[in-house]
Amino acid sequence: MTTLAQLQTNFIHDCLSGTLTVDKTLMAKDLDTQFISARGLMGIYQHSAIANITNSLRLSYAVIEKLVGKDFFQLMCKSYIVKHWPSTGNMDDYGESFSSFLAAFEQVKHLSYLEDVAQLEWLFHQSSLANDNSYFDWTRLAKVTTSENITFLLSPSVSIMSSATPVDKIWQMNQENAPENNELSLDGTSDTFIVLFRQGLKTEMMTVAESEFTFLQSIEKGLNFETAIESAKAVNADIAIDDCLKKYIELGIISGFSI
Amino acid sequence: MQSIQGVGISLKHQHFREFLNNKPDVPWLEIHTENFFSPASTASKYLAQIRQHYAISAHCVGMSLGSAAINCPIREQHLHKIKNTVEWLQPGLVSDHLSWSASPAGHFLPDLLPIPLTQEAFTIVANNIRRAQDILQRQILVENPSSYLTYVDSPMTEWQFLSALAEDTGCGLLLDVNNIYVSAHNHHFDSLTYLNNMPLSAVKEIHLAGFSTEVIEGKELYIDTHGHRVCDDVWQLYEQAIKRFGAIPTLIEWDTNIPELAVLLDEKSKAEAIINKVECIENSRHIADAVNGQGRL
Repeated sequence: MTTLAQLQTNFIHDCLSGTLTVDKTLMAKDLDTQFISARGLMGIYQHSAIANITNSLRLSYAVIEKLVGKDFFQLMCKSYIVKHWPSTGNMDDYGESFSSFLAAFEQVKHLSYLEDVAQLEWLFHQSSLANDNSYFDWTRLAKVTTSENITFLLSPSVSIMSSATPVDKIWQMNQENAPENNELSLDGTSDTFIVLFRQGLKTEMMTVAESEFTFLQSIEKGLNFETAIESAKAVNADIAIDDCLKKYIELGIISGFSI
Repeated sequence: MQSIQGVGISLKHQHFREFLNNKPDVPWLEIHTENFFSPASTASKYLAQIRQHYAISAHCVGMSLGSAAINCPIREQHLHKIKNTVEWLQPGLVSDHLSWSASPAGHFLPDLLPIPLTQEAFTIVANNIRRAQDILQRQILVENPSSYLTYVDSPMTEWQFLSALAEDTGCGLLLDVNNIYVSAHNHHFDSLTYLNNMPLSAVKEIHLAGFSTEVIEGKELYIDTHGHRVCDDVWQLYEQAIKRFGAIPTLIEWDTNIPELAVLLDEKSKAEAIINKVECIENSRHIADAVNGQGRL
């Protein structure tokens, strides 16, 4: 007699290992197959499981689905799911590696921008789930005598990314309220530097100059203020750090500091 | 903790703004707890506002009460996320299903998978329910699932299994009338027999939903999709359930092909009409009994 533990391992294997076959359905000996074969019965659960997981991916990667089309998106998701079995009950956490999967997926790997669009969508998803800023007493900043040891902190909802393609424009063109028949040329475009952050109930996206991106990237890495300034000035010696700092504090992107 | 009474409906994100702006007349709403695991998420912020006006029931889909894995990390993590959500939400009811999702090998299927109704499974499910109730520090309700297969080794009926679980663990039962109807069709048992064997005192909530049909290898199966109106046969079965269990809280459940809120409210009205009809008949019967009793005096 199959133990419950073995039965459950076999069940998930049948649902997620790909194609069910007559002689390779692990559950066959445990099922009542009077009316429908084991392959047919497990096919119902396989279909349902893959549809449910695909729906989770669809919520995170709506723009990718729009770009490649519903049917092809489903096909890609099935390939992804078969290779990446969920290991969490919180489906918000599932699908982080989808962007790198797309980069290697044979039929779309020539569309190099898909990987970055998927990464942007994942960051949007994470930002929408992130914790709020805790209250921070900014009057403490006036009491700091030397800036050397200050390390600023980014809000939990902030994500930053750079891309060789204008992924922000691709993302915007594929939103529900976007104007139709917009065209975007990917030839001769320069790098794009993006900051995502949540304000109220909405995740906002803005593009920033490379120097400001470098400044925020240093903060994200936990580097101190002086080092962050040096990094930013290496990109643009004329960057106005005071204005930059003020702007990001006011937007809630920088949410505190430690000494 | 909020009181759950009358006929409620599923709260879907498509209707968040309508609930906040128009405050439709609904006594309570049910949410899928898993959609609100991040307390600061946009969805949770909407829910926090909505719960100021509506009682909430927390329906879970991932406790994996039937998982055989001992000290299963996936299930434990999931349970603690539910606990965190329940702590801020303070729902009137917390429920999940007689099913499993997490395997001993550490994988998880976001689906309500069937368990064989054996003594081994009973011991495992009972222990998992006790664990869930210990962590959440409250009674949970366990729902009868829809299923599309049965196991060769499954000596108990589902109603025997659920009744024994309620008695053994002190959990309540959530009676999904549509699931009874779907499983009865798929596995050739009588819906009324199931209904009449559920323990009166343990059933604390009823679910109603729609299903779809699929033909597999020439056999028609009912699939519990929660994407249609409740069918006439299920309404009739619901009337029998109200006669047996009384006007316990009832949910109009809808999870796919989400329609306009008006459709859910219309289904809610139908359930309320059945409750009223049964109560009227009961009241008439009591009056007739009283009159007859007086006559005899």
